[in-house]
Amino acid sequence: MRTFKKCVAGTYRGSVRYTLALLLGASYAGPMLAAPLPIDVLQVDRKVIGTITDESGETMPGVTVLLKGTSLGTTTDIDGNFQLNIPEAQLGNAVMVFSFIGYEQQEIPLGSQARIDLILKSSVSVLDQVVVVGYSSKKVKYLSSSVATIDNKKLRDVTSNELPNLLQGKAPGVVVSTSSGDPTSAARILIRGAGTISAGTTPLTVVDGNIGGSYNPVDIENVTVLKDVAATGLYGSRAANGVIIVTTKSGQPGKTKFSFNNTLGFATATTGKFKLMDAQQLYDYQSTFYDRDPSVVNTNTNWWNEAFRTAVVNNHNLSVSGGNEKTTFYISGNYYKEQGTLVENDKTGYNFRTNLQSKLTDKLTAKVLFNGTFTKDNYANSNTLYDAYNNMPFDPAYDEDGNPTDGRTYPDWQGRDRENFLHSIQYNYSNAKSLTINTDINLDYAITDELTFSTYNRIYFGNGQSASYNDTRTKQGGANGGELYNGSTYGNRLLTSNRLRYEKDFGLHGISLLGVAEAEKSYNSSASSSGKGLPPGRDVMSVATTVLSNPTGEYEQVMFRKYLATADYNYDNRYFLVGSVVNEFSSLFGRNNPTANFYQLGASWVFSNEDFLKDNKTLTFAKVRVSNGTVGNADGISNFASLGLYSISQAASYSGLPGAAPSQKGNPDLTWEKIRSSNIGFDLSFFNRIDLVADAYVKEASSLLYRQPLAATTGYSYVWVNAGSVRNKGFEFSLTSTNIKGKDFSWETNLNMAFNRNKVLELSDGSEVFNSGASQPIAVGHNMDEWNMPIWAGVDPENGDPLWEKITYDANGNAVKSVTNQYSEAQTADSRQFTGKSASPKFTGGLSNTLDYKGFTLSAFLNFVYGNTIYNGSRFYFDNDGLYESYNAMVLADGWNRWEKPGDIATHPKPVVGGNKDSNQTSSRYLEDGSYIRLRNIRLGYSVPSQVVNKLGFNAISVFVSGDNLWTGTKFSGPDPEVSLTQVNQSSGVSTIRYPISKKILFGVNFSF
Amino acid sequence: MRSNSIYKFLLMGSLALGSASCKEYFEPTTAIDEESALTNAGDVETATIGTYAVLLNAAYVRSVHFLMEFPSDEVAQGQSSSDDLTRAYRYTHINTSGHATNFWGQAYKVIAAANKIIAYVPDDASTTLRQLKGENMYLRAMMHYNLVRVFGRPYSQGNGENPGIPLLLEGLSEEEQNDISRSSVKEVYDSVISDLLKAADLMSENKSNSFASKEVAYALLSRVYLYKEDYVNAVKYADLVIDSGRYSLTQGSEFSGYFKTAPASNPETIFAIRHMPVQDRGFSAIGSMYFSSDPSGTPQGQGVSGWAEIYASQKYIDFLSQHPDDLRKNFISPYMVDGELQHNKKLTPTTPMYYINKYSLQEGVINLSSPVYLRLAEIYLNRAEANAQLGNTQEALEDVNLIRTRAGLPDSELYTSSNMGSKSLMDVVLEERWLELAFEGHRAYDLFRNNRPMERDYPGTHSLNNTPTTNTQQRVMPTDDRVIFFIPQVEIDRNSNLTQNP
Repeated sequence: MRTFKKCVAGTYRGSVRYTLALLLGASYAGPMLAAPLPIDVLQVDRKVIGTITDESGETMPGVTVLLKGTSLGTTTDIDGNFQLNIPEAQLGNAVMVFSFIGYEQQEIPLGSQARIDLILKSSVSVLDQVVVVGYSSKKVKYLSSSVATIDNKKLRDVTSNELPNLLQGKAPGVVVSTSSGDPTSAARILIRGAGTISAGTTPLTVVDGNIGGSYNPVDIENVTVLKDVAATGLYGSRAANGVIIVTTKSGQPGKTKFSFNNTLGFATATTGKFKLMDAQQLYDYQSTFYDRDPSVVNTNTNWWNEAFRTAVVNNHNLSVSGGNEKTTFYISGNYYKEQGTLVENDKTGYNFRTNLQSKLTDKLTAKVLFNGTFTKDNYANSNTLYDAYNNMPFDPAYDEDGNPTDGRTYPDWQGRDRENFLHSIQYNYSNAKSLTINTDINLDYAITDELTFSTYNRIYFGNGQSASYNDTRTKQGGANGGELYNGSTYGNRLLTSNRLRYEKDFGLHGISLLGVAEAEKSYNSSASSSGKGLPPGRDVMSVATTVLSNPTGEYEQVMFRKYLATADYNYDNRYFLVGSVVNEFSSLFGRNNPTANFYQLGASWVFSNEDFLKDNKTLTFAKVRVSNGTVGNADGISNFASLGLYSISQAASYSGLPGAAPSQKGNPDLTWEKIRSSNIGFDLSFFNRIDLVADAYVKEASSLLYRQPLAATTGYSYVWVNAGSVRNKGFEFSLTSTNIKGKDFSWETNLNMAFNRNKVLELSDGSEVFNSGASQPIAVGHNMDEWNMPIWAGVDPENGDPLWEKITYDANGNAVKSVTNQYSEAQTADSRQFTGKSASPKFTGGLSNTLDYKGFTLSAFLNFVYGNTIYNGSRFYFDNDGLYESYNAMVLADGWNRWEKPGDIATHPKPVVGGNKDSNQTSSRYLEDGSYIRLRNIRLGYSVPSQVVNKLGFNAISVFVSGDNLWTGTKFSGPDPEVSLTQVNQSSGVSTIRYPISKKILFGVNFSF
Repeated sequence: MRSNSIYKFLLMGSLALGSASCKEYFEPTTAIDEESALTNAGDVETATIGTYAVLLNAAYVRSVHFLMEFPSDEVAQGQSSSDDLTRAYRYTHINTSGHATNFWGQAYKVIAAANKIIAYVPDDASTTLRQLKGENMYLRAMMHYNLVRVFGRPYSQGNGENPGIPLLLEGLSEEEQNDISRSSVKEVYDSVISDLLKAADLMSENKSNSFASKEVAYALLSRVYLYKEDYVNAVKYADLVIDSGRYSLTQGSEFSGYFKTAPASNPETIFAIRHMPVQDRGFSAIGSMYFSSDPSGTPQGQGVSGWAEIYASQKYIDFLSQHPDDLRKNFISPYMVDGELQHNKKLTPTTPMYYINKYSLQEGVINLSSPVYLRLAEIYLNRAEANAQLGNTQEALEDVNLIRTRAGLPDSELYTSSNMGSKSLMDVVLEERWLELAFEGHRAYDLFRNNRPMERDYPGTHSLNNTPTTNTQQRVMPTDDRVIFFIPQVEIDRNSNLTQNP
């Protein structure tokens, strides 16, 4: 710094030149020292002016103009003009940098110019995007692997605090499913089908270069999804389900920018075609089989409406960013509050991020990233949702004085659970608070021009507290005179990733070598206590008179360690090769097999750079990519899955004495699940305005991690094994077309679709079926998610009985099919059948259109899922042919009809009090088509013209109105066809007592200055 | 300076790399490695406690109670339930019954845990270890016996030749455990008896009634022999329990509050599954199905502290009410409002709400109970029944009268060989067993093994089997297929050697 001051005030030239050379980096030293400095330019400041336009000739306001290497800069005015005084000391070899989001940055050496007029080229082409892959950044067109990048603008149309919700339908092969509209529960992501049975299917998240980490969607610069093995392989062992790379924003050199974004919206629950009966409908239906006092219809409570509300969604974000060529900063604070549509349920999040980057010396760059989040989740009362579906309209929600009724004591309460959640929620609550802090310290040191050493380190701390209070006045707390549960969790995680990189070009040959050593250790602990006998309204443990159940507490540790080496080679930017090997250890696995080796190979060829295509005006870019390799999966298994264990927890104690009971069967050979995957893809660009990315892949998982259920006579419920193999193969594409690009009007369309087929190839020990008897039993030759169950054979026209298919074998071993009204005859190994229907979709995708007219932007985004079958398990409760005369019932969907008299051909059996022969037990009766198309988002935005904005002293002002999930097309009879498409606890595609997702209308105002 | 910083960074890097190169393993904190679980005498006691602890799982103690008790005529289910227990009550079993699947799974968990200890401790070990081995043999026998009661036909049918359940003994290979097939009812009984005899021989400590001891094994032997129709041995082992002097019948108010006291302070209980106050299962407790009250124990409506949808049947109440002084009335808490008995109105005819409190209010906690598996009154009545079968009328009546006197009945209500009227001696004994042991899981077995039908003609969901549903009659013959439960289909799916019951 002292040297710099001296040079500004400098009186002799030699030192100026020397200092500038130091400042601008060694690579500039050569040419600068060689260039003689004109004497006159050193003597006075120079005013540089100019006008910036885009390719269509429109002037561009707001373009950042910066003198490279300094914080000296300005932005263009409304007419695209700028003027900047360059101090005399800076004039020697000054370089002007022009940048604007969405346009290619340009650097213009000033030389002796006093005026620079420039046309900025837009950088919309997908292929020119620079993406972070593995441990490096590359332009998409030079990649050998299949990736999808979604930038901040595309990501943030939908309003949510959770990334998965924002990713839905935006990249081919990335299937997002929300199993609940509860803002406190996260959606699930599945990339290219599930290749595992019991292990996790969640993609690995990498935030700012390190595995794991936290982020808030507002701070995301872009998201890259790595799908094939050439890209994911570097994350080795844990990348089997794909990798989602999140890069958070960083400051740009230049004027400090303040940005203030606000969204306010309203949400209601989607109900689809689903309707519950009102009092008269229910009375009329039940009077066909059940005797009830007709006066019950005098009360007609709509419990659904009591349980759901118009919820408010709020999001406010303030960010400040800027810096100079040496140091940049990005600071952001965010407040998010989303009420659930179900009463009492909401999520509040506070998020703070600081990203600092500084060139400490010309060789050493440091990044310090800090992210702190505080979250408070208020959970819905345990019974609200259940009661919304099942409470009877005959029971009043409020008494004559307007107070909530108490189902336990209200005279002649009809509903079976004798519960009014409105009464309970006056006093009871259940919530969780958490605080997490992630700090990254990343250093890059250029040992030589070719060799760089980097160390990326992250420390995570997390603390959580949960409380659940059941007041003595309520049904939940009454028996124990009030109950209180308190829980706390603590976790920390240390990760260090150390990398040595060598990069060099030899003529047309370019090579890059990378070696990485990485280790990660995490620690988690939890404790809980509960008390009872609390005075009304007193929700602290100190007032509890006695213990409800014993306190609990435990801690666990896990470690991973990885070495990897990778080599990239390219020839003339036409031929690319990449190869890598990974060795990884995890403490999760058995002592006999804790480490595993993985390899990846990739190659690509930009054939549009070959002579025969070079000047082709139609095919303007063309590349073919191939890759093959292996990755691993260690996710989703318990921390000690390989050990044979005796539990010594309280559950093993008896009569007040400590005990130990066999709890887990050991498997010391348990090892990594391995996935071998191959990919071939094309990146094609036509007329420079239509981009097509298409990929075909095969993923074959072997030594699958599987929680194998055991016969009870083994003494254990299950054992973790490596067993069998599953194949996913598929095809996916993304087509982006700039349909119209005019001066005032432009229209862009993106269509992406993914087709995946899943098949179980073989199982260990030559078994045919893994979990026989389960609804999704995992059988050789079948889709993993295929339904297998008793086959519903309709209703007996004679008597209205339920019928199922029954299969027996005659003396010759031939299958004989008949029907039975006895469920136990249909629910046998012989009678149960594969249905040919699966919970996994045949294809998924998204279609988006964006129209720009002057300051207006209209975008619409549809996502669709086709060919999956849902098991609508909730019909057990409200479509059960009389089993629960004290639950409400659903109005029969279109095309359904009820048996009433002999000869009726009906879909629904005769209703009988106490149920008609177990007609609501698991069978293909409740399987329904789960296909849907949903208008995920429609949004109209307007940017206020700059002349107005600038007069007000702002940089930009924009407003928008946006709608989420406003329309859904589906045949599904429940409120919401979105179900979990990934297996959780060995089941997928089940809809039970669903918390439907929300329709939202949102208004937003964004300022920056 | 330049070379200095390179040096520093290489040093930092090599430190980081060095720290990354180690492989660490960790141990869980709430479990121990099975390799180290059974390595010394101290471990045997800890592991034995763990075997008992499995009995506490609701999947065992609650499910087996429902399977054994609800087929009886002493209870009435007042409304259909979302719980599989309805099927046990109505005899509308399915092969995916949740309670049967639970019970089967837990029972074999107990047996497998016991087998590990049985195999580890030699027969000539120290007194303490022999005691612990005996306790595990007792638990194994108790499980095999409960399983064969629920899934195998009564011994009296076909003289034990019907299919029983898989006998899981120590020393089987993993494959044998997985592919095991059903032994006959007789083989199971023989194994149970042999285990109990050996257990009695091994055990020499007078542990509290939360644990097994010599007399606990004798007590179960008296019941098993009775079920096996080996009446001489049933008497013999009942005698050994009664004559041991370790137990006495509770009297008067102590008897009236029998199930509210902790087992350790009850001199009549021989073996109970001890639940500590922190093991209150709330609405998921057995008692929740029978009872709902305020903290003082005064009956309240459904949903206050329990679901309260299974009641003492009108048939049982009528029988019990013959003698106004019968102390056993205290085990019923009618739900009254303003002096009026309440009815569950979900069915026509409506079901009177006679709450049963044998599984409630232990140590003042509403839903807490330590289900009693063996108590002295049963041993007297086992002896009475065996003597009745052996033609020892006087001895049988003495034991029956002992129980009646304890229940507060006056001498005029005691039986002599000449005042039984039209009742047979077996009628008298079985009636007393019904009165005394009601709701403890005996009634259905007492009838069926003695080749008597189950007669129901009182309000309850069994009427839903009829057309019209207002007809409350149900008669279940002892030969009915549904006197026993289906083998859980999921177990057959995992082991094709298991055959299904018809």
